[in-house]
Amino acid sequence: MIPSDHFVRFYNEVFKYLDKRGLLQAYFDDIGRYAAGRNLEKFRKGGLQAVYDYYLVIRKEENCELDMELKDGEYHQRMNKCPSLSKVLDNDASASPRYCLHCPGWTLPVYTAAGLYMVYDLMEPDQPHCESWLYDDPQRALAKYRELCKKIPAQRIKTNLPKSLLEE
Amino acid sequence: MLRYQENNELHRNFHGSTDNAMRFVEKTCGQEALREVLRQTGRDVYKSIREKLARGDASELIEHLTWFYYRENAPFKLEAGENEIRFEVLECPAHKQMKKMGLEPAPFNCLQTEEVNAGMCEGTPWTSSVEHIAPGHCVQIFRKEPSK
Repeated sequence: MIPSDHFVRFYNEVFKYLDKRGLLQAYFDDIGRYAAGRNLEKFRKGGLQAVYDYYLVIRKEENCELDMELKDGEYHQRMNKCPSLSKVLDNDASASPRYCLHCPGWTLPVYTAAGLYMVYDLMEPDQPHCESWLYDDPQRALAKYRELCKKIPAQRIKTNLPKSLLEE
Repeated sequence: MLRYQENNELHRNFHGSTDNAMRFVEKTCGQEALREVLRQTGRDVYKSIREKLARGDASELIEHLTWFYYRENAPFKLEAGENEIRFEVLECPAHKQMKKMGLEPAPFNCLQTEEVNAGMCEGTPWTSSVEHIAPGHCVQIFRKEPSK
């Protein structure tokens, strides 16, 4: 058995293997389907509050140093120390340079299906922190996206906002 | 001493994620590829255990098995001799958790034990095998070639 404590180090090996074969995005999509099966209905019905409640459990069980705030139609989270990437970096095997992408990789399709809009600042992929904002109003997400575009390099930003809105 | 010290909360649902990752690799790349990724995990992630086994020191392997199964509340029996370690898991915590989640383990789910253990032993005088007694009940065996 791979201990649940060590899952992310196995995950990292899977990422490296699939990345070499051009299958990483297909795997992220698969994780999204797996996660949707467990969370989509909750997110669809409960909206931002359901996502907040989900991350309350994750913060505890995964030992995240995570600031969370749900206020006035915005769910903002700041990961100060991501336990997942921290373990992957504290590892005798090498880290996948695309490790961080799994997070938006699975969450964005689930949020899209739930009618929620995420704007993600991935920051540095070799540092265990990131920041994100989630809305049920696409115009508010668009405003946050534009605000971030003025401040940080575009490659750090991930969003599930429809292309039609981004190109307006 | 363990290379990876883990003392905090457990997120047991990761057993479902492990099974899902195994299914994806098996479906897209085949079972040999899955064996390769698991073996690589055993060899590279658990380099510290492997290097100690190569020097004839099984202490970290034993500590790894007992600590992580204890953390997951699994009943187990350990018999550790100079040339053979038998670690019997009476109720696999991964299968138990998946059942709780309403998930069926993949038919090849136990490859994670077989291949990760094999990876830890790679290039050492130790070999590993797994005797499957019943679903969720197995004996993990590590044998060392007797010194010449």
